[in-house]
Amino acid sequence: MNDTGCIHLNNFKAAKGTNPYKIVHAFFVSCTSYEARRYKATSCLCFTCGKAGPRMHSCLHCIFFACYNGHIQDHSKSKKHFLYVDLSYGNVFCAQCQDYIYDRELTELSRNYRVKEAKALGISVPYTPWLPNNNEVMALRRLRKRRLISPHTTIGLRGLQNLGSTCFMNCIVQTLIHTPLLRDYFLGEKHKCKTQGSGKCLVCEVSKLFQEFYSGAKTPLTLHRLLHLIWTHARHLAGYEQQDAHEFFIATLDVLHRHCMNGVEDTEKKENGRCNCIIDQIFTGGLQSDVVCTSCSGVSTTIDPFWDISLDVAGPGSLQACLERFTRAEHLGSAAKIKCSNCRAYRESTKQLTLETLPIVASFHLKRFEHSSQIDRKISAFVSFPAELDMTPFMSTHRRAVEAADNNNAPEGVFEDNRYSLFAVVNHLGSLDAGHYTAYVRQMKGSWFKCDDHMITRASLREVLDSEGYPDLSFCSRVVNYHCWSYK
Amino acid sequence: MTVNNTIAHQRLTLTGDRERFKELLRRRLIECGWRDQVRMLCREIVKENDGNNVTFDTLVTRVTPRARALVPDTVKKELLQKIKTHLY
Ligand SMILES: [Zn+2]
Ligand SMILES: [Zn+2]
Ligand SMILES: [Zn+2]
Ligand SMILES: [Zn+2]
Ligand SMILES: [Zn+2]
Ligand SMILES: [Zn+2]
Repeated sequence: MNDTGCIHLNNFKAAKGTNPYKIVHAFFVSCTSYEARRYKATSCLCFTCGKAGPRMHSCLHCIFFACYNGHIQDHSKSKKHFLYVDLSYGNVFCAQCQDYIYDRELTELSRNYRVKEAKALGISVPYTPWLPNNNEVMALRRLRKRRLISPHTTIGLRGLQNLGSTCFMNCIVQTLIHTPLLRDYFLGEKHKCKTQGSGKCLVCEVSKLFQEFYSGAKTPLTLHRLLHLIWTHARHLAGYEQQDAHEFFIATLDVLHRHCMNGVEDTEKKENGRCNCIIDQIFTGGLQSDVVCTSCSGVSTTIDPFWDISLDVAGPGSLQACLERFTRAEHLGSAAKIKCSNCRAYRESTKQLTLETLPIVASFHLKRFEHSSQIDRKISAFVSFPAELDMTPFMSTHRRAVEAADNNNAPEGVFEDNRYSLFAVVNHLGSLDAGHYTAYVRQMKGSWFKCDDHMITRASLREVLDSEGYPDLSFCSRVVNYHCWSYK
Repeated sequence: MTVNNTIAHQRLTLTGDRERFKELLRRRLIECGWRDQVRMLCREIVKENDGNNVTFDTLVTRVTPRARALVPDTVKKELLQKIKTHLY
């Protein structure tokens, strides 16, 4: 079956257009408004047997709902109406062909309504598999070479040459290359650059880098140009004796975010004042700070965007314990009085940080390096972290709900899913001034590799979680579809 | 369907929670690999009939019993629990 429909559907479209399908979809399949949901709730019952399914369909020719088993077939015989829309999925059934019909135009419409519905309900847009366009189909036909993606593939893995203490950069690059959504963005060649070929755009440089990583070649790469570009655009980093992976990570995101504006389509990408570039889409979360006056209990709330969460290391413990401490209400004491707008006076207050919105990729930085006027030192305490992390307890809404609840029925979001899964860890080994960075990255679900400059070796999850190098940075991505099957 | 069931069904549709539950279920089924397993079952059936047009109905009748059995108990339990607490 191809995706150009059947003769019956094509004739119908020629005569009536796509409007009948649009109406059925917007009201009874995807319900893009409250009114539509009311219609669906009250009138989507089989005209023949009065039941609400299973597999309710609507006639495309007239107003008629019926269940699939028998009742739409009866209608098609008596009325000679042959086309029906499945009210759960929006697929079109042709009673003459006795099968569902693929039609590119209607599939596209259906997808758009789905997105609208998800937005109206505030749920994540349902995952839709990649639908190649005509150009892509042609390209696939031309390219006969196929690569099998199995749990043993090493495609996408490449070592990086150390250019003289540049292990900090290599680790951050390995992490970015293995950030799932970033990979999809770059391999999908989504950055169409206005500066094409100028050599000044970091986004373009990273695009090239992705091509190098996935070319199948195995020799280690040298990142002269990338380093030079980042140093040119983040001058505060250049020439430092001691490079810090975390600082480099933030600087790289910043330059990438600025250079995204070179993209033809990205120039005006702002949603309610916030940047909507790929970097911000993936890495930006919102940190809420509530300052409560101890005299009048007035609260002043601010929300700031963040790209990473920097956590104090107080001693051996877990990432969750660090986060717990990070979001605990803290009394600011008499030495740090803050002006309360209510009392119009300086008052003692408590301050609490919580996460207002979560990013797709959460980056945790453990503050192991202490810099003070007297001494620079590294805190080498083991901090364990889980392969799967639920961020719910650290969210603003959760904290509010817990405080408001006088019983155990905290109004927890039934539909919320704040689980993250670990995909990269950057370790710092050795002392502050004679240290070395290595990274662990996840290539596919359950498939980990250790990146030590030009050397890439397979690693186990246990090894990653027990890493003796005392993790410095860890990166978790929201749980998304990671299953990969090998087709024999 | 009893009157109570119909009302519950209507309320879930009206508030949009029916879609939200469906989305949650969809996500869980993807995460646990169920969707990939079912996709493999479908591929097998298409291959067995190689060349012959396999209709949606054939797939549904052949795959549904096995696909139902493949849904992990943890997923069923979670959904049931959440729907229950949501309704009462
Ligand atoms: Zn019926
Ligand atoms: Zn009809
Ligand atoms: Zn037909
Ligand atoms: Zn560019
Ligand atoms: Zn941005
Ligand atoms: Zn006050």
